[in-house]
Amino acid sequence: MNAAAALVQLAGVALAPLLPGAIQTLKARLQGRKGPSVLQPYRTLWRLWHKSAVDPGGAGLIYRLAPPLVAACLLAALVIVPVAGRAGSFGLGNDALVLVGVLALARFALAAASWDPGNGFALMASARELMISVFGEALLVLALLVAALPAKSTDLLAMSAAAAGGHIWSGPTHWCGAIAFLLVILLETGRQPIDNPDTHLELTMIHEGPLLEYAGRDLAFLQWAGAARHWVILVLAAELYLPHWGGFAAYLCLLVVGVAVLCGALALVETEQAKMRILRVPALLGVGCAIALAGAGMWIGGVGV
Amino acid sequence: MSLLAAGSLAGVALLAVGGLIVALRGGLRAGLAVQAASMALLGAVGICVLVGGDVIGASFRSTIAPAFGIDPLSGFFLAVLALTAVPTLVFARDYLPGSPGARSVGALTSAFLLSLVGVLTARDVTSFLAFWELMTLVPAAAILLARRDRAVRSAVYSYLAITHLGGAGVWIALIALAYHGAIGDPSALVAAGTGAQTLVAIAALIGFGTKAGFIPLHSWLPRAHPVAPAHLSALMSGMMIKVALYGLIRVEFQWLGATPRWLGLALLAIGLVSCLGGVLWALVQHDLKPLLAYHSIENVGIIALALGASLLFANAGNSTWAAIAFAAALLHVTNHAIFKALLFLGAGAFERAVGSLDLDHLGGLLRRMPWTGGAFLVGSMAIAGLPPLNGFASEWLVLQSLLHVAFYRPLGVGLSGGVALAGLAMTAALALLCFVKVIGLVLLGSPRRVECETAVDPPTGMRAGMAVLAMLCVVLGLVPGLVLPTLARLAPDAHGPVLARHAGLVLPGTGSYLPLPLALALAVLTLGLIAMRGKRRAAPAPSWACGQPVVAALNWTSAGFTKPLRLVLEAVLRPRREIEVVRGGGMVQSVTYTAHVPSLLDASVYEPTVRTGLRAASFVRRLQSGNVRTYAAYLLGLVIGLLVLVHTGVLG
Repeated sequence: MNAAAALVQLAGVALAPLLPGAIQTLKARLQGRKGPSVLQPYRTLWRLWHKSAVDPGGAGLIYRLAPPLVAACLLAALVIVPVAGRAGSFGLGNDALVLVGVLALARFALAAASWDPGNGFALMASARELMISVFGEALLVLALLVAALPAKSTDLLAMSAAAAGGHIWSGPTHWCGAIAFLLVILLETGRQPIDNPDTHLELTMIHEGPLLEYAGRDLAFLQWAGAARHWVILVLAAELYLPHWGGFAAYLCLLVVGVAVLCGALALVETEQAKMRILRVPALLGVGCAIALAGAGMWIGGVGV
Repeated sequence: MSLLAAGSLAGVALLAVGGLIVALRGGLRAGLAVQAASMALLGAVGICVLVGGDVIGASFRSTIAPAFGIDPLSGFFLAVLALTAVPTLVFARDYLPGSPGARSVGALTSAFLLSLVGVLTARDVTSFLAFWELMTLVPAAAILLARRDRAVRSAVYSYLAITHLGGAGVWIALIALAYHGAIGDPSALVAAGTGAQTLVAIAALIGFGTKAGFIPLHSWLPRAHPVAPAHLSALMSGMMIKVALYGLIRVEFQWLGATPRWLGLALLAIGLVSCLGGVLWALVQHDLKPLLAYHSIENVGIIALALGASLLFANAGNSTWAAIAFAAALLHVTNHAIFKALLFLGAGAFERAVGSLDLDHLGGLLRRMPWTGGAFLVGSMAIAGLPPLNGFASEWLVLQSLLHVAFYRPLGVGLSGGVALAGLAMTAALALLCFVKVIGLVLLGSPRRVECETAVDPPTGMRAGMAVLAMLCVVLGLVPGLVLPTLARLAPDAHGPVLARHAGLVLPGTGSYLPLPLALALAVLTLGLIAMRGKRRAAPAPSWACGQPVVAALNWTSAGFTKPLRLVLEAVLRPRREIEVVRGGGMVQSVTYTAHVPSLLDASVYEPTVRTGLRAASFVRRLQSGNVRTYAAYLLGLVIGLLVLVHTGVLG
């Protein structure tokens, strides 16, 4: 079973670009356009892989190192997040807070890299991303705290096992955690209303900004990392907040359905919602924090347990 | 006399000799080498005591006769002191010669280290308080000898004023403890009742908290630490505030005889305010050294969070997690001492090479000073809490502790754990933002000053000191689990081994952090991806600025990078900006723009206090007329007053 889970985890390397592809296609259909194929991200990666990279003037070691390091962090994150309540033994453990740290390392590498050529747009975007992440980190750990309460552990395997069955949804706590985690998904995948992945205007970019100067295989790494971030966060959401029953196979099927539903929801939100003013985003995340804290408070206070 | 006792005595004697060599013979480099050797010896003794668990010398007593000894907790702090002091002294051997007041500063360095060792080994009230005061005064003297301008004198004055006012708490706490015979004997204070316990707890919190830099008693720290010579800044931020935490741990954890819940909650609140406030004001600094000093407040706050969690666990009767949280605090003490010393030494090296530490006037130093820049990069990543370095290991432990506090009832305790958890996560993200800014402005990009173009790495001793500290950051980051069980044994309620020894951090009943495989995986994957990427690159192209030429005026600044955060937190930070437009002949001749973020507490607490104090002083001055007859009238009034009191039976 664990070997099968390990295979699915590693398959994430290849399957991750499907997720943004599916969201884009769905979004186009919802907007009445034909849109690109689900496989478009693979075509983009293929095209980038065969182009040469361009270094802007002044770029040094950190700038060159960042894309492989970001991709390596996301690869590590892929094997930390279990699939269908199981994980292969890759030796990295399955701790939720370690996952937070690994994602922070990826964010650091990219933000530091945008200082190297000193591109104004990249810096503007990373300043914004780091500002938002201040509130995003609080939201993320609180959402993880709510999910950790039933298991009394931050081991993602134990957390996933504690979320099994339907009884956990009878109290208010898990609902609060789920709402908070939906905001985490919007934030970490860089989707509207927090960020706009389709923007071609440098001034509005957040996640896309630091990628502006990259080309060729460097850009391919970063684009893949963006897709892998979708995979990590959506699978994590499904692990922690998807009601599930039965064995590994049944859970895996539910997981696929769950991730598909989440992709659909993201496409729907992007169609319905305009991008928020950037200075309003912390308030939105603060509401998420309050909801998560209220959920945790109700659990500790013994409401509906 | 045992070997360890002899070793510690020899270490102290050698340390004094090291100071005397500098003071009397002027052998600065030789003296500092002797000091480094003596600190290494003392550190070895400390490690032996820590690992062996024995006590050498005297044990704690409430008498006033001087007594000295080393127990495992002292041993731990001695070991941390040595870990930071030895590389710092090696750095100082090449840094100090030629700087103003070098000889006196070199001699005072030995006195400062002696006072730190004295506080850590004192076993009675008198010598503890004596060394405690010396520890405050000696760096003040060294700063004044090294720099003589007015701003520095003012900084040193507020350092002495605030630490002495707050430091009264230390005297009150220790004298009260000695009065009840409770030094080293927790049962004595239990017998004295909760009133005495509360008094001691609060006095110690204020007294040691002032010296540790807890907000709102922190105001001296960002003034005093930056003006000291680099190696003293490193020792002050690395160790002096940790010695204050040592005192706090002694009183609150070992001698109080109780683990009241309010104290745990108070430490959580203080820790939360300190870590968030420290990092927020660090973000808006434009000079590297005050920025680093504010980060010391942040890290002391993180340690306070862990200590508060430990008290709450002890109060709830969970001795395993109480020990884990306590060990988390001690591990962060170690880690912060190491990376903060490294960062201050790096700042000193940059200042020597470039002549300024204004963040907007550095840049491109990683390429020009690879040793200093590389070490500084490691230290920055460690303090920003990034895996697999040491800062993340201890922050992960503190996060785990706070998360486990949130599992406890009553609701207030659990929720405070949750709030502290969110606050620590925010702190980590803010520190990341801050050090991305520092790395970008100092190490990366193009030089923003002529001096940066020609900057070169400092001499071998300075490089070696920083390289050793950077290596310690990496090693402690990779195998934190090797020291954790030893630290957990130091917790007051720990009986027997709490944790099994692993390379990684493996805690009972929760996830584990395995830095060694993680670092290996990240390294192998990154190298593999670099190999996959190959060498296919086109010629460099200019950076994209919407088709404009890229000129120096377009460079991003420290204020620019933190602007989004300043806008969001305007209500807290209250930035001030002044725009001055000079018009002449109907045209705008020049526009000057200044902006700064004043310290909220300085403006709202310290300035009114100082104003009131000065007003009271000028009122009192009116009593001193200088006329003999007035003083005779005062005496007469006093005598009459006393007689009235005696007559009414209030006195005697």
